[in-house]
Order: sequence, then structure tokens, then C-alpha cells
Amino acid sequence: MILQILISGISLGSVYALIAVGFAMVYSNLKFSNFAHGGMISACAYIGYYFQNAFSTPPPIWLTILFTALCGVVIALLIDLLAYRRIRKKQAHNLYYFLASITVAILIEQILNVFFGKNTYAFPAVFSSTTFHIAGLRFSSIDTLILGVSLVILAILLGIINRTKIGLAIRTVAINPQTSRLMGINSGVVIMTVFAIAGALAGISGVLLGMRYSVYPSLGQSMMIKGFIASVFGGLGSLSGAILAAVGLGIIEMFLTYFCGALVSPIILFGFMLVFLAVRPEGIFGRFAKDKV
Amino acid sequence: MKRVIALLLAMLLLAALPACGIAEELPPIKVGCIQDTSGGASIAGQPNEWGVKYAVQYLNDNGGINGRMIELYCRDCQNDTEVGVTAYRELVDEIEVDAIIGPPLSNPASAWVELSAEDEVPIVGHFMDEVCTTDPDTGEAYPYMFLAEPSCSVQSYILAEYAMNELGVKSVATLFNTSNAYAVAHEKPFVSYISAHDGEVLAEETFTWSDTDYSAQAMKIAQLKPDAVLLCDYCNQMVTAYDNLREAGFEGYVLGANTMYPPFNTLIKNKLYNCYFVQNYDLRSGEIADLLAIQMKDTGTDYPTSNVGFGWDATMVLANAMKQANDPTDGPEVREILENNTIEVPSIGGAKITIDPATHRPTREMGMYIATYDADNQVDCLVNMTTDYVAE
Repeated sequence: MILQILISGISLGSVYALIAVGFAMVYSNLKFSNFAHGGMISACAYIGYYFQNAFSTPPPIWLTILFTALCGVVIALLIDLLAYRRIRKKQAHNLYYFLASITVAILIEQILNVFFGKNTYAFPAVFSSTTFHIAGLRFSSIDTLILGVSLVILAILLGIINRTKIGLAIRTVAINPQTSRLMGINSGVVIMTVFAIAGALAGISGVLLGMRYSVYPSLGQSMMIKGFIASVFGGLGSLSGAILAAVGLGIIEMFLTYFCGALVSPIILFGFMLVFLAVRPEGIFGRFAKDKV
Repeated sequence: MKRVIALLLAMLLLAALPACGIAEELPPIKVGCIQDTSGGASIAGQPNEWGVKYAVQYLNDNGGINGRMIELYCRDCQNDTEVGVTAYRELVDEIEVDAIIGPPLSNPASAWVELSAEDEVPIVGHFMDEVCTTDPDTGEAYPYMFLAEPSCSVQSYILAEYAMNELGVKSVATLFNTSNAYAVAHEKPFVSYISAHDGEVLAEETFTWSDTDYSAQAMKIAQLKPDAVLLCDYCNQMVTAYDNLREAGFEGYVLGANTMYPPFNTLIKNKLYNCYFVQNYDLRSGEIADLLAIQMKDTGTDYPTSNVGFGWDATMVLANAMKQANDPTDGPEVREILENNTIEVPSIGGAKITIDPATHRPTREMGMYIATYDADNQVDCLVNMTTDYVAE
């Protein structure tokens, strides 16, 4: 049973990881937690659902994910244009980013409510069975897919950030946008690239979370708390830290809930978080974020 | 003499004015409607609001309340108690509504208990938790709060009675949302009934709004192998709970509150079997089916939902009292009639709603259907049941 709980914890953590990576991506560059990410996920979940059902024979799920990721990029760039760009130009305090991101999150959810709130949808089944068994242990099909996708995303993002020119530019802008501009880097384009990547992540997350749960206006927002906690634990801005912390959070939560009950579990979890932040406020892999300050 | 004649003529003219239709029209009756149209329960709140609007339109098209039109003011409480209080204050203080039709949500409604008494504004709704209509300590009815369907307790007694008598259930576990008054109000009476009838309650597992997965609880329950598990919360959470239970290997009966109706059957990822739940209306036939056909066409909704009927029924219960009142805008008078003279008001589902003066809830004659999903995943209403059971 202990092993089964561990596997279920990793499954749950993989869901949190999807959200946490989106947070970490924007934070690593702009130093604010983009709460609009939840709204983007919800919007992308609807886009994915309608795309999947637009054809008499549903397209393969990878095509739906790809299409939705592209739509996520468009949405993210639109949000950047409408909500963040002017704040950035005025070099306003980060608090304004925070307020703008909360506002955008509520706005998206309300728009979805107005147009789609009457129905809740489910993606067509992708797997013939919701679970599969290996050596007597039960694995969730969709959670395994989510974990695999999270790890692939991590590998791709780390590859982009560490091994490409745009990745170098992203790291440079993250450390100091003004100096990077003096060095000939177009920080505006770099920041747009970061938003585009975050949008693509929201698109992928929207489809996967829609497949795991249902498609409804507050889908993304309902996942934000745990995703945000994971990104803080991992070290705000650290991609690998976010995934590691998310999986850790899922495992801890699963064990606590099983052995202590769902009522006591949050008390221990959040108490532990307070102690952890007091001891290591920069998170597990927070060195990069710390360097920027 | 001329003065006397002039006076008589003036009096005649005044008396004739109403007949000519020149008399000043009576002002409309202002009714508020607070529903959760954007929060976590918007899937219930939106059809509820539609039901209220359609019922008001129907009433106005048929002469209103004794000739007076109803003006409806709708507000969204977002399934949030504080937002609900703000909406209430706006409707009562600024718009000065004469009565309010409340949501199918117990959390916001429970905050209006004292406010409605202070402001003398009758509220009729579908807040099924009994603490919204009676004081849990004294058992006395709150003067201005009225429920238009069987309470959570009654629904749970009916479900537990069916499970024990018809399905042969002897041991149960529960999985419910402790943050949701509606869910708690279902779970406690269910457990009370099972315990009182020598059944065994093996586990009472919980979750909260912030939880997105109940696998740990489901694994614990599956290990205990109860005959049945009761799930209580809103539809999305019920779906997750059902899937987690089945994935954990539980194959017994899954019992549910009336939120287990569609779209539950379209959202679950696992095979749907051994599911039994309470249902207010048989949505496939009668007036409720006609009403739903209009609503689904009007709103683009893909599946029928009982909440449309809730909105309609609450409006008709209120309208019935207002029609009997000398002054339908007089809160205390309407309250008095709601309490003592709400007798056999036709429900859209075919039943009759009679308010019990002692509890401000429908009398026990108003039953519930026990429903299941058939082989085609369609709702099948098996039997309409009532119960005499009252917890000690």
C-alpha cells in the first residue's frame, strides 16, 4: 500500500507540476507570479475541447495539444499586449503586475462563464482504460501521460534556456533588463518570447487538465493554489525546482491525507511550508532567483 | 347648488377613471433573485436563474400578482457568502425589493437568516441545509426563510432507507466536502439513519474546496470494502470522487445527492454502474420536460437539469403567497401567508408543495425519486419515496 500511495502521490504531483512550470517560467524573467496563467489554462481547455470535437473523427490528441499550445501563445501575447506591456514601459512596481494578473484571471473566468458557463464538458476518452497495472501496482493512465509531458517540457525548456541564443538572452534579461538592452538585446522581444512559452505551456496544461478533470470556467484557477505553492517550494523561477517540488508536494499530500485525514493534512502541510520558508526562503533550487535580486 | 353639482360630477369623474384605464397603474412588485451564476456552482445557478426569469415572465404574461407586474432584479452571489450578503444589501437597501428568491446554495443563504428577519424580507429558495430554515439549537423556524423542496436531511433519509431496504446495504462509507454546507447537511443525516438502523459506518472521509484529488481517501475506503459509499458535493467534485473510487478498486454501490444527475454521466471517465441517487423531478415527462426543452433551446444547454425546476418552483411558492396578500409588498403579511397558507402549490414536477409552519420546509408528503443510470447511461427514475424518519 505504501508503494501505491507513493505512485498516487507522484501522479498528483505531476498535475501540480504542469501549473508550477508555467508560474516559474514567467517569474524567472519578470519576477512576478502570473495568476492569469490559470485563466489561460481554462480558456485553452475550451479551445482544445472544441477543436477535438470539430471533426467527425476526433484528431489525434497530440495534434489537439499542438493546436491548443499555438492558441495559448496567441492568448498569452494578447494578454501581454493588453495588460502588462504598458506597466513594463512605465517600469512600474511589481505590485501592478500582480494586480493586472489577478484582474486578467478574473476577466477570463467571467468571459468563459458568460459564454460557456451553462455546460461542463469532458474530453473524449483517449485511453481505453483509466488505469493500468504493473507488478500489482495501479497507475493512472492520464497522470502518467501528464508526468511524461511535464518531464519532456522541462527537458525542452532547459535545452532552450541553456543551449540557445534566445535562452541566453532570456537569462540575461532575467538578471537585468536595462543592462541587457545596453548590450544590444531587445528585451521586449525576449519578454514576449517568455510569454509565448508560458502561453504554450498553458495550452498544453489546458488540454491535459481538461482530460483529467472536466472543462469548466474555473478549471485553471482551481489548480492554482497548489501549483503556486509548488513553484514557491521549488524556488520561484526555477523550472526543475518547480517540478521537483510539485512531485514532492503531491507525495507528501497523499501520505498525509491517507494517514492523518484530509482535515489535518493541510494544517501539517502549510505548517511545514512556513517552517521551510523560514529556513530556506529561496526554495529548493532558488539560487537563480536569488541571483537576480 | 352649483357647487354641490360640481362636487358630484367631480366624484363621478374620479370614480370613472379606473374604468377608463386612465387611473395611475399600480407600481410593480420588486423581487430580487440571488443565484450563483459565476462561481463554483454556476452549473446549478445559471439554470436556476433561468427558471426564475421564465416563471416571472409567465406570471407577468398572465396578469402578474393580482394585476401588478413583477420586476425582477437578478444578482450573482458567486457561491461566496460575503458576495451574497453584498448582493442582498444592494437589493434590500438600494432597490428596496419586496422579497427575494434565493439560490440552491446553503452557504450564502445561511448568512441571510438574521438579515431577512431584521429587514422583514421573505426569502424563498432551494438552500437545502436545514440550518437555513430552522435554528439548529431550538428547532424554531427562522421567520423569513422558506425552502421549496425537501431538505438535505429528508433527501438523505430517503436515500439511506432505499439503500438499506432495497439494495441490502449494511455497511457504508462517506466521502464529502466539509467546506460545503450542502454536503455536510447530506452526510450527517445519512450516517444518522444508517447507524439508527443497525448499519455500520466504516469511514467518513472528507475533502475541501482546495483539494483537486481524493485518491488517498478513495484508497482507504476501497480497502474497507463497504457495501456502499455516499458522495456529497457539487457535480464536478462528485465526478472526481466517483472516478477516484472506481480507480481505487471500489466496485460496490455509489450513492449520491441530487447533484449526481446529468452532466455527471457525461463527465466521468470510468464505467458508470451501481449508482443510485435522489432526484427531485422525473425530467423525461410532464411539465418539467416541456420547460426543460424551452430552456435547453433558449440557452444552448446540452443536458436537462433539475435547477430549472427549482427556480420555477421557488417563484411560484412566493407568487402564491403574494397573490393571497392584501398588500403583496408587505413583507410581514407575505411571510405570514408563506408560513401558514402555502398549501398544495403545484410543483413543475407534478408534486404539491405544502409548507410546514413549524419548519418552513415542505411537509413530508413531498417525496424524492430514487434514480439510477441505465445501460445507456440515461437517468432512470425508479421510485418516488417519502420517509417518516426523524433523527432524535
